[in-house]
Amino acid sequence: MENIIEVKNISFAYCEDEQNKTSILQDFSLNIEKGSFTAILGHNGSGKSTLAKLLNGLNKPDSGQVLIEGADSADPAHELEARRKVGMVFQNPDNQLVATIVEEDVAFGPENLGFPPAEIRRRVDEALKAVRMYEYRTHAPHKLSGGQKQRIAIAGIIAMEPACIVLDEPTAMLDPRGRAEVMETVRRLNREKGVTIVLITHYMDEAAAADRVVVMDTGKIVLDGPPKEVFSQAETVKRAGLDLPQPTELAYELKKAGIDLPDGIISTEECVAALTGALREE
Amino acid sequence: MLKDLTIGQFFPAKSPLHRMDPRAKLLLLIVYIVFIFIAGNPFSLGLMTLSVAAVLLLSRVPLKIYLKNIKSIWVIVLLTALLNALYVDEGALLCKFWMIQITAGGVQRAVFMAVRIVLLILTSAVLTYTTTPTALTDAIERLLSPLRFVGLGTAVHTMAMMMTIALRFIPTLIEETEKIMNAQKARGADMESGGLMKRVKALLPVLIPLLVSSFRRAYDLAEAMECRCYNGGKGRQRMTQLRFGRVDLVCALLSIAVCTGAVVLNIFL
Amino acid sequence: MSLVTVKDLSYVYSPGTPYAKTAIHDVNLSFDKGEIIGVIGHTGSGKSTLIQHLNGLIRPTSGQVLLDGRDIWAEPKKIRQVRFRVGLVFQYPEYQLFAETAYKDIAFGPVNMGLPEDEVDRRVRRTAQMVGVTDEMLEKSPFDLSGGEKRRVAIAGVMAMEPEALILDEPTAGLDPAGRDMILSRVREYREQTGAAVLIVSHSMEDMARIAEKILVMNEGRVFRFGSVEEVYSQPEELAAIGLNVPQVTRIFMGLRQNGLPVPGGVYTVERAKEVLLPLLSKGGGAHA
Repeated sequence: MENIIEVKNISFAYCEDEQNKTSILQDFSLNIEKGSFTAILGHNGSGKSTLAKLLNGLNKPDSGQVLIEGADSADPAHELEARRKVGMVFQNPDNQLVATIVEEDVAFGPENLGFPPAEIRRRVDEALKAVRMYEYRTHAPHKLSGGQKQRIAIAGIIAMEPACIVLDEPTAMLDPRGRAEVMETVRRLNREKGVTIVLITHYMDEAAAADRVVVMDTGKIVLDGPPKEVFSQAETVKRAGLDLPQPTELAYELKKAGIDLPDGIISTEECVAALTGALREE
Repeated sequence: MLKDLTIGQFFPAKSPLHRMDPRAKLLLLIVYIVFIFIAGNPFSLGLMTLSVAAVLLLSRVPLKIYLKNIKSIWVIVLLTALLNALYVDEGALLCKFWMIQITAGGVQRAVFMAVRIVLLILTSAVLTYTTTPTALTDAIERLLSPLRFVGLGTAVHTMAMMMTIALRFIPTLIEETEKIMNAQKARGADMESGGLMKRVKALLPVLIPLLVSSFRRAYDLAEAMECRCYNGGKGRQRMTQLRFGRVDLVCALLSIAVCTGAVVLNIFL
Repeated sequence: MSLVTVKDLSYVYSPGTPYAKTAIHDVNLSFDKGEIIGVIGHTGSGKSTLIQHLNGLIRPTSGQVLLDGRDIWAEPKKIRQVRFRVGLVFQYPEYQLFAETAYKDIAFGPVNMGLPEDEVDRRVRRTAQMVGVTDEMLEKSPFDLSGGEKRRVAIAGVMAMEPEALILDEPTAGLDPAGRDMILSRVREYREQTGAAVLIVSHSMEDMARIAEKILVMNEGRVFRFGSVEEVYSQPEELAAIGLNVPQVTRIFMGLRQNGLPVPGGVYTVERAKEVLLPLLSKGGGAHA
């Protein structure tokens, strides 16, 4: 498969002042495949948000390269293109909406890119339909719920027709209903429209929906693979400061106590099936 | 709830005035204001009054709402009228006591000024009731866009962008102020009693967090805008194109007719 | 007599206007010192409006809030005294920090109470220690602290008033698992040390199963359920009907019972599930070992 983003041996540090440099990432590499759904997990301060901003060139690496469809994101000539191709959705839905009317907000990206008005209109309508907010197109964003606002923010990104969307903890400030709305939208975009998704989160249940899970700790990748494989490394996941989904944790605890259960239990149903089998044997 | 507060006074309705190009509305408002002051005799001012009344009806905004506007300024209207009545010394003397004298000319001037102020308020209200703040900002930006030929293009765009963002964030910040005030009250902050200095000091626990949070929002928003390919308005295109349509043409022609009428009445009567 | 009693409480937003909206209807409940109560409900269920009534930030449209049996609005001028006894920590409390140092910020409440300087100092240091704020952090500007540290300083600011009831609105929102565990254990610590009543508003049925003893479920402005964790969580269908999900581990046990297995009810946490399952699984387990 073709890679949309290639992160090659980058390092990145925040400069507080001349002397104090806080190194976040060192010799870090990661490829994102076209059309994939990758979840990047880590506790606060694990470097995952810094990584997010490196993926579309908002942060520039101190060394190494971030290639977006082969083009170096640090090259000023590719800057705008990098941001168009890799869209970014942030945590606080309030702080990323610009306009006082939903459809005008969604139009902001395409307007900046200078498309003809009819083309902007088409993109805005399509994007709003993709996040199922078309009926709200003339509403004022500040009167919408958190989940709706976040979907508008996603529509604003889709309207630029990016190849990839990076979402940096998009559900952290939402209630369960809002979280479900956003996750459903993200999954649908990936499946139906083939948009590559990079979801940065610390919620395990959200990561379970991805094809690939990358666990980060102190600026390094500690686990990388399909959810089942990653979650079966319970020790490592816990050491990285993350929760296991309850079914996985229960299976892990029981296995630690010497009970024979299969690997890779993530969902409630899998856990029920495994435990039913084990209990019937007794 | 403060959240329900709407900025500006837009009153959603389906009227030809709502459909008009905001630029046309803004320009016609200016023309009207000029002619309300040009109208110099009862006939021309009467014509302007009639046409403003027609416009109010045309806007499909309940007259009650317009009346509220007048209610809030009646003191100013009265005061202006009174000053005019007292200071203008023209025509027949109507009554006199001590140093005060009222003349026929004074009374006429007083009535004229009162009518003019009321008309001024009403026509401006028509604009704000039939035009969203966003459309208004947009209209101002576009009307000022010729300034780019004298090198002020970026300034005009920046100003318009700032207005849009302000409109977008005012409700958010009002809500936030309410939250912070409640949080400090929950810690026993007393904002209602004491002298001026004490009250100003009592506001600091609200103002500082508000300022800090505004900076954080500004930073976040700037980053989000950058991610959406914003680069200061260079090569920016707009989705909604404003176009002078048939409604605008009809309204403009009618307004010109009314204004010409007013001038004719001014000269010949 | 209960510490706090809510009697026939109703609240209408913007009464007499077309925007009038009843936020809570006829709420009745009471709680006592030493209890930890989880408050659960969707956004708009009325839980935020309810908790702001308890410390007198909102005045009821009808009904009463009684503190030690006395109506808190009996003397409206003394409502500040109520706020010192019923401490309320808002959502994202770190956004209310304002003082030059974390110390002064925590001291804000106690100073407003008019306490003598040495008592203020004692309380600041005590609560700082309780929430894990070091002396070094106390001297820093609150804006120079990390996100989790700011949150703890802000919570300490309310705890330092030593309220008899401590109410926290989603104290773990936006935190990672470590930050969440930290806050919840500190809140429990506050209850242990002061014997206060604690109300925690949360969206997480899992977290509440771990920390709370009683659960208040709000729905559409009314009390939907109020009882022990067992009473409330043992009716998962009812909760699902209003869009709330019992913990996954509880659903696993429901699934096992549906499969005809003799597992007990009343399992809401992974620890408890392990305790219950281990003996069942290893009864004849020697054969596997």
